[in-house]
Amino acid sequence: MSENQIRSSVGKPEQRIDTVEKAAGTLRYIGDYTVPGLLHAKLATSTYAHAKIKSIDTKDAWAVKGVRAIVTGDMFPYHIGPILADRPPLAYEKVRYYGEPVAIVVADQEHQAKKAANKIKVDYEPLPVVNSVKQAFQSDAPVIHENLGQYTKIISNVYPQAGSNIGSHIKIRKGDFISAWESCETTVTANFSFNLSDHAALETRSARVEINPAGKVVIHSCTQSPFTIKKVLNQFFNIEVGNIIVHTPMLGGAFGGKGTVQLEPLAYLASVAVGGKLVKLDYDREEDMITAPCHIGLDATIKLGADKNGKLLAGQYTFLIDSGAYTDQAAGITRAMALDCTGPYHIENVWCDSYCMYTNHPYATSFRGYGHPELTFAVERTMDMLAKKLNLDPIDLRIKNAIKPGHTSPTQAVITANNIGDAKQCIIRAKELINWDEGIKQETGKNKIRTKGISLFWKTSTTATNAQSGAVLTFEADGSVNLNTAAIELGQGAKTILAQIVAEKLGMDIKKVHVTMELNTQYDPHQWRTVASSTTYLAGRAVVAAADDAIKQLKKTASIVLQCSEDDLDLGGGRVFLRPNPEYGVEIKDIALGYKFPNGHSIEGQVIGRGKYIQRHLTPMDKETGFGKPGPWWSVGAQAVEVEWNTKDYTYKILKAVNVLDGGTIINPATATQQMRGGMYLGLSFASHESFCFDENGVVLNPQLRDYQMIRFGEHPEYIVDFIESPAADGPFGARGIGEYGVIGMAGALGNALTAAAEADLNHLPLTPELIWIAKKGTNQ
Amino acid sequence: MIAFDFEYYRPESIQETIEIFQKLDQKKKKVCFFSGGTEFITFARVHQVHADSVIDLKGIPECTALEGKENDLIFGASVHLNQLIEANLFPLLSQNLRNIADHTSRNKITLGGNLNSRLMYREGMLPLLVADAKVTMYGIEGHETHPITQVFGKQSSLKHGQFLTQISIDGSFAKMPYLAIKRTRISKIGYPIVSIAALVKDEKLRIAFSGICEYPFRSRKIEDILNDKGLPVHERIDKAVSCIPGPMIDDRHASGQYRKFVLQNVLEEAMEFLEG
Repeated sequence: MSENQIRSSVGKPEQRIDTVEKAAGTLRYIGDYTVPGLLHAKLATSTYAHAKIKSIDTKDAWAVKGVRAIVTGDMFPYHIGPILADRPPLAYEKVRYYGEPVAIVVADQEHQAKKAANKIKVDYEPLPVVNSVKQAFQSDAPVIHENLGQYTKIISNVYPQAGSNIGSHIKIRKGDFISAWESCETTVTANFSFNLSDHAALETRSARVEINPAGKVVIHSCTQSPFTIKKVLNQFFNIEVGNIIVHTPMLGGAFGGKGTVQLEPLAYLASVAVGGKLVKLDYDREEDMITAPCHIGLDATIKLGADKNGKLLAGQYTFLIDSGAYTDQAAGITRAMALDCTGPYHIENVWCDSYCMYTNHPYATSFRGYGHPELTFAVERTMDMLAKKLNLDPIDLRIKNAIKPGHTSPTQAVITANNIGDAKQCIIRAKELINWDEGIKQETGKNKIRTKGISLFWKTSTTATNAQSGAVLTFEADGSVNLNTAAIELGQGAKTILAQIVAEKLGMDIKKVHVTMELNTQYDPHQWRTVASSTTYLAGRAVVAAADDAIKQLKKTASIVLQCSEDDLDLGGGRVFLRPNPEYGVEIKDIALGYKFPNGHSIEGQVIGRGKYIQRHLTPMDKETGFGKPGPWWSVGAQAVEVEWNTKDYTYKILKAVNVLDGGTIINPATATQQMRGGMYLGLSFASHESFCFDENGVVLNPQLRDYQMIRFGEHPEYIVDFIESPAADGPFGARGIGEYGVIGMAGALGNALTAAAEADLNHLPLTPELIWIAKKGTNQ
Repeated sequence: MIAFDFEYYRPESIQETIEIFQKLDQKKKKVCFFSGGTEFITFARVHQVHADSVIDLKGIPECTALEGKENDLIFGASVHLNQLIEANLFPLLSQNLRNIADHTSRNKITLGGNLNSRLMYREGMLPLLVADAKVTMYGIEGHETHPITQVFGKQSSLKHGQFLTQISIDGSFAKMPYLAIKRTRISKIGYPIVSIAALVKDEKLRIAFSGICEYPFRSRKIEDILNDKGLPVHERIDKAVSCIPGPMIDDRHASGQYRKFVLQNVLEEAMEFLEG
């Protein structure tokens, strides 16, 4: 790796390579596809949150013109799932959430399928509804999964408790919390909560499946996990892995919601029902919001204990995660919250119980940050409460306790100089950028005050222990290069970053690097899912390896042509040349596809650069203590928010949002800044506006953008983004991961800023003026 | 998508509209009038509204009129909100309409459509209530013009086959001091939890409300209280709040108690406006 040279592409704000098509509106997303003979599938979904299915009457649906097939749960009465196999793709015998798929109608035209789906009559016998995690946790709560004890575990770190609504219980037992707690001179205990919410990506979900007569199952899907789709169809549907081909184009936003597998099995069953014909399943926005999995809810209790100087000695974390009707990735989030439960602080005695709870709510999956925005809200609010009790500046308390090399994480993984960013530098820089020293609170006018809040956060990428990436480089006759990886472009700029790495390694202009924008699992090298802020790291390393491999082959051919040693050759400006005599060289275009001598003899043939990278030394966690090394490194950051709060009507404006992140080397400062801003927006919107509302029967009252509120353009704050770059010795050009991090500290910082303004503890989300009013009334009583 | 088939008609005169309606009605078809179509489309695609035929009123010249005529201001029922806002014939109306939905939707939403909304808000009513607006309707039995309160009260009393063509106000209302305030759960755009439009005429406040009970209203009782100079302001507000003509809405946008708090703050602003 050429760290000491002046870089030509890495570190530069290269323009994104995916934007021209998108801005011109010519890009075809997965749903923008039609072909003669295409059949359309539409879902009938549950109108109850919890009920037995007594019968399904499809007579009127069949009478609709154009209907070709109707599929119900009894045609596939098995359970699937990425961590615990607890979910039938179509509800079978009972429904467990409002919006759960109950039947699929396949018809010639989309409106015919939708009309028929609406005519399916289900006879439900309502069951008592579990409408909150607190209720789900009670020992006398109705049990949502009667056969919990019989579900297959797909990974080891999931611990369901039969007879209860606990889908998984993950424990951290580090040090001796109970004794340490006794010795703490200052303690704080607080409770935090929020309900489920949605990813609300611009692109609603769509998938199409065809089973060709030779038995090949061809799937097109807007997924973050194409190889996982193959795994699921093989594992649960008994199709040979080699007979499943998944195609994925660029996605119109995902935020973790498209990382799990829901549509594809449904589209597959629909195709089977019509003899393998091509069937397209599109989700309406309402289905995209609640039928497809959403974002977890949480009820958290945190106890922090410190000595009288503010050094943290003990922490207890109890997380009740609202996973909804099925565990899906929420079981993994349950684990992720436990293993990073303390936040980036050094605490020697840690006790965590993280519970993945079943409720009769739409089920939850990964959401950008994977449990960290959620736990950071709770932890950062508690830190501010502790600072107040100790009469310490909130930033000083954090710096005093910031985790450093030599310390251990909650799972007792050792922090080293290489595997973590510099939390202290991040918060010092954030302090400058938010102008903390002018004071946390300023009066700005009649009934208006301006306040600031801060948060410090971390996250590790808990990928599978064998997560890996691969990359293939091939050359065109003009010496330009094609890069082929299965990293998916979600809008995060992944393809651009990888192109920059190739451009840097091969010494060529990025315009000469052609990256495949669409993915085909049959010829793309295997790639773990495009999630977890891991793509730059894993795919980046694979691309570096592929470039090194291509360079070796180019030098070999060049050494024969130039009749010299490979060791004396270098690459640059589209040539391979003799280092001591640079005028003596050969153009890459003349050797990339082999070299032909003037007499016609040809040698070596085309260069095919191959690279791969697999995670190193990751382990699962111990069942009783959580001991293990679940992630390769931590990126850290500090965020701050400045608000203007109206003391009379409790409304507020978010004026500024600051983000200082240490994710190692920043390969593209422009795309990195854009990623941070988008993440900050997502975190602020989640913290201030977004929530599903349920009635007493578990019915979702706002499954539409009509009244699922989000921050609108024009209401966003001024974004201030900066980076600290502590390089990772094993990252590509020193990079770690940064994709999710913009979200993580926003809720905590906003909660802290508004708490300072309102002088009432704001520990619940979303932070609407009414919620602030309720909290203030509480303190006045 | 809308999953059912329906017929679309676009008449170019009032007479043609009535003829089309009669023909369809005789065939027992369910007919829906529309202008912007934002409610028809968004409710039809989630199976909450159904029609066999729709009649698009935007082609009728009277329905798209927008003018000052002698002392009156005429607003066609099928004029979309952004057009009304830009023409700015009645500033209170412009200010109030600017608070409805978002800019893109206002390219389609019409005043007539808003008055006929299935939802309880119908914020377009508010300036019309304080300006003593009149509405003109056409139907099988001919045309009628009535004060708006007689046609759009708790419910719409439009008869079967009747459609709104124009709304008119006396032009003098457009010159009076005015105030429009909208508060939502959060954000500039959303359903109102309290929305008011107010005018000062002859030094007295006229005020109409939306979002606090199940229909938009103007109450003489409340106005008398708010205009009672004999009482201190905060007493007037408390008394007025206790006189709203229906139970305070308590829903997921705002609880009844919080809505009351917001209403009190909004009335304080209204009282400051009156004093000033």
